[in-house]
Formats: sequence, C-alpha cells, structure tokens
Amino acid sequence: MPVLEEPIKEVLKLKNYINGRWVDSKSEKVVDVRNPATQEVIAKVPMSTGDEVAATIRAAREAFPEWRRTPPLARARCLFRLKELLEENFELISRIQTMEHGKTIDESRGETRRGIEMVEVATGIPSLMMGYNLEDIASGIDEYVIYQPLGVFAHIAPFNFPFMVPLWYSPFALATGNTFIVKPSPRDPISQVKLAELFDEAGIPPGVYNLVHGGAEVSGALIRHPDIKGITFVGTSKVGKDIYQKCGEMGKRAIVQGAAKNFMIVMPDANTSATIPALMTSFFGNSGQRCLSGANLVIVSEEDIFYNKFLDAFVTAASKIKVGYGLDESIQMGPMQSVDGKERVLSYIERGLSEGANLVLDGRQPKISGDYPDTCFIGPSVFIDVKPEMIIAQEEIFGPVAGVLRAKDLDTAIEIANRSRYGNGNAIFTSNGKSAREFQYRIESGNVGINIGIVAPMAFFPFGGMKESFMGILHGQGRDVIRFFTESKVVIQRWF
Amino acid sequence: MTLNTASEVISLSRKLEEESKSFYQALAQRHPELSEHFLSFAKENEKYTREVERVYYGVITDALEGGFTFRIEPGDYRISTKLQEEISLARAIGAAIKMEEKLQKFYMDSAEQSKSLMADIPRAFAQIVRKRQNRIEELRAMVVMNLNRHEFRSSVY
Repeated sequence: MPVLEEPIKEVLKLKNYINGRWVDSKSEKVVDVRNPATQEVIAKVPMSTGDEVAATIRAAREAFPEWRRTPPLARARCLFRLKELLEENFELISRIQTMEHGKTIDESRGETRRGIEMVEVATGIPSLMMGYNLEDIASGIDEYVIYQPLGVFAHIAPFNFPFMVPLWYSPFALATGNTFIVKPSPRDPISQVKLAELFDEAGIPPGVYNLVHGGAEVSGALIRHPDIKGITFVGTSKVGKDIYQKCGEMGKRAIVQGAAKNFMIVMPDANTSATIPALMTSFFGNSGQRCLSGANLVIVSEEDIFYNKFLDAFVTAASKIKVGYGLDESIQMGPMQSVDGKERVLSYIERGLSEGANLVLDGRQPKISGDYPDTCFIGPSVFIDVKPEMIIAQEEIFGPVAGVLRAKDLDTAIEIANRSRYGNGNAIFTSNGKSAREFQYRIESGNVGINIGIVAPMAFFPFGGMKESFMGILHGQGRDVIRFFTESKVVIQRWF
Repeated sequence: MTLNTASEVISLSRKLEEESKSFYQALAQRHPELSEHFLSFAKENEKYTREVERVYYGVITDALEGGFTFRIEPGDYRISTKLQEEISLARAIGAAIKMEEKLQKFYMDSAEQSKSLMADIPRAFAQIVRKRQNRIEELRAMVVMNLNRHEFRSSVY
C-alpha cells in the first residue's frame, strides 16, 4: 500500500513563539527530531536558554492584565476561530503527528479530533466560568462567588500525544483569562509548532499563548519561576512527583498525570468477538505508549476451556497486527517513538523471561511492512503465566507488551488490580451488570471502563487518575480544569 | 489483502465512488437522452464521499477500535466501470445496476462491521445503502420505461 504524502519535506529549524513572534533560539544545544519509522531527521529543535525562558514568562505576564479584561465571549470567539483553523488543517496536523511520533494515521486523526474537542468545549466559557450567588444570607446581605484567572500557567508536554495533551489545558487556560506557555516534548514538537501558528492566525494577542522549546532545564526554569502560577504535566510518575513537590513548596497549583499499569479484566461471559478488537486497540494501539493502554490482561476463569479459548483468540489477533509506517493506511501499529523506548521494552521482555513468564508471542524481531529500518520497530508481544508479584506485572513498560494473568473469580481479579501502585484506566469486559457494577464500585482507578479498552474521558469530563498515576486535586479537562485555572473570590455585600 | 483500518475503508469508499462517478459521466456522454439522470448520480457520488469523510473525520477517535474493526476484502467489491464501445443502453443500465448492488453490499458490510465505532459511522454507511437502493429502483424504472424499445427487449430479455 502506498504511503500518504508526507507534509514535512525538508528539515525544519524550529523557533520559539514568544510574544506573538517567531524567534530563533540563541542556544547552541540543538536536538534532532527523527521520523521514528524512516529514521530521517525532520526537524532540529533548540534547547532554549534561561534568558529565553525568562523572556517567554515576561511576555506572558505582561499580556495577562489585558487578556483577563477581554470579555469571556471575545476570548471564546478567538477559540472559535482556532477551531475553524484546526478543521482546515486537520489532515496536515494528523500527518505531522505520524511523522514525528510514529503512530498510525487513524490514531493521529483520532488525536487531532480529541484535541479539537477540547477547543470546542472551551468555547463554552461564558457559561462554564459563571459563579453563583445567594440573596439574603442575612437580612439585606447577598453573597456570591466569582471565578477569576490567576496569571501565567505552563504546560510540560509528553511525547506520546504530542498534539492533544497540551490541548487538555491551553484552550481552558486561555478561555478563563490566563496566559499560557507550552513546552513541547523535544522528541516530537512539530505539531505544537503548527498549533502555535494557528493560535497566532486565530488572533490570540501577543504574549497570551507562547511556546518555548527545550528539555529538563527549561522545565525546571518554568517550574521555579515565581511568575508561573501553576504547572500541568503529563509524563512519568518519578518526574511528576518531583514537579509536584516543587510546586507545593512554591505554593503553585499543579496537575500531574503520571504513569500507569492498567488491568483489563475479562469475565467468562464477555462477548469475545467484540472484546478482542477492543483489547487490540488497548494493548497495542499507539504501540502501547499510552497512559491508558492495557498492560495486564486478567482472564477470569476457573475452567481451562474459556481461558485457553480466549487466550488463543487474543494471541492470534495480536500476531496478525500489521506493523509499519503509519502513513501507510493499512498499518495497524507504528514504531516506538524512540530508540530509548524500544530498548526499555526489550529490557522488560528480558526481565519477563528471567522472571519465568512464558513469551508466547515475541515481537522482538517484527515483520515490518515496507522497506524501513527496524531501529524503532517492535511487534506485539504476549507473556502468559504472569504472576502479580513479577516486575513485568507491576511496572509500566510503555510499549506493546501484554502480560496475561489468570484469576479464579472477579474478587481475585479486583484484588490483583488494586494491589498496583497505579490507578489510571482499568476495565472489565463482561455481559453481566452485577459484575460490572461491582468492578466500578471497588476498582481503584481514576478512569473505569466497562467493555471499553481505552478509557479516555471526553473533553467535558475530567481525565481521572488515582494513586501514583495522579498528583493533584483537580484533573485536566471538564469542569475540574476550569476550577484549576481560576480562583474563587467570594463577595458579601450590603448596601446602606 | 484484507482491509482492517478505518482509514483504508474510507479510502476504498472514496475510490469506489470516484470510479462509479466516472462511469455515469461516460454514460451521460454516450446517452444524452438520459444524461440528466446519470449526471445527477455522478453528483450524488461526490456527496456520498463528502458525507462519509465528514463523519469519519468528525468522530474518529483512537480510543475506539478504528485500526481493528474491519475485515473488508476489496476484491469482493471490485466494480467494472469501463463502457464497451458498442454496448447498448440497456446493457449499460444493467451494468449500472450490478455496480450499484456491489457498492450497496460494500456499504452494508462496512456498516455491519463498524458497529463498535461511534454510531455516526455505521449510520452514514447505512444511509448510503438506503440511497443506493433508491438509485437501483430508479435504474430499474428506466429499464421498464424503455421496454417498448426494440433495443431494450432484445438486450435485456
């Protein structure tokens, strides 16, 4: 199958977007951005200097007073224009994601759509930001609450959803009257550059939305700066804990979404033919690089017949997944985003073997469709005989590796899942309402799926997360994020 | 080669509509007396493509099984769109009906297989199935209307 046309035809030299202008970085540290499928360098991204970070924050701070005075309806209109521009550039943005990240074109389009949905929801800000009031809290005295923006917020973005995740925050931050700085992942920053171009074209005033490239140093500078009122972060729990702690020490707000180890529990009464495709997407979609990816498959069955039959269907389907370059429309799984990512997965496979798990599907030598270097490619892998105490059952592998466990009943399955230190997106597959209700009630997971393999909340619901998968009080998306980006001011008034 | 991804199926839909459109455009040129009908079919094909794409781009989400939903064999829906030089109108309409039935089957199968995706997608496919049924009936009516003509009698029956 021929590949779709690549939108990036020459090596891009990426710039920062500060105060409404595209600015070359003076940094000498520049990192290559590679297309993980072809290994071609497609961009060069600067690790911005401290001065550049400071200039970005200054621009955002100075833009704040006027932006917060802009009526919410006018702010929403900017977002309506942004939404239109995103629709016009839908395919371009999607193909860029496939080129910078490696995901399949269907996955990239799905990510673009999800990102646009955030903008759509944020356009409702005149209603979403309303406070409330009560007359006569005492005789002749009224009380009301007003939600006000706080100032400058920054987002430190992950590599796995380079376009969508920053949009969990930026449209809401802007809609509520804050100003915003995004630091894209240096591994795949190009779709964020395109997004910043569209923010600019949508008429967002200078300084209101800014983009600064860089790595850990830039993140640190953003976190430490006193003018930054809050940080949103999606990434590993280890880094997340550090960010959360620093934000706490400095009295900043933080939304920290961390790692996961998600359990997919399959009951003997599950609809197998509908469950298998859902599990393929869950375990192997985005090459397993999702915080909502299935990681452990728990087949609930005391009898060998169902266990063996379901396992066979699962492994057979996984073995048929077509691996290759995501711009080929027939591809079902792209490469890992980076060599590091692939090596991490390989090391976990070794670990699983040494722990005594049985590798019944080995993705280490994948069949790649098309003539592409195998640098970042890895195929679906399935371990069986996995025990809950094994490292491969506990730690996030963040790749296309499924560990299959077996439980005698639902109680045992829930107990195994709840032993995890993470609680991000667990799901049950069943036709039994009582089992589903029991699971929903007892599972320690911020997002719960019932016959859904990827429990990704829509833009108007908060993106949950529990235990070490989440640090903070308010979550991204939905009403939570509106509260996160606003301070509630209570007014009590009496007129003499 | 089986098509598994939503993207592939949308592309196949686009290709089939394009081929079918060319067929009707050629037919309209060959038979000016019915060109209005045939050109309206060609125009409708463009509309179907737009509708399918609008729905796909509008609700595609990587959270559902877009990459693992379909088992479409493109060979099952290959349509013949070449008009032979000497083909009679009756035979050409017969070919059109066959083509429409194949396209209808494609959309029927796609609707059935995409039920686990956002409901808009199978609904859009199902709608095209219904519209194609109307078209098939219209084509059959053309045959009936022209039954008296010798050309039709000899070539259809």
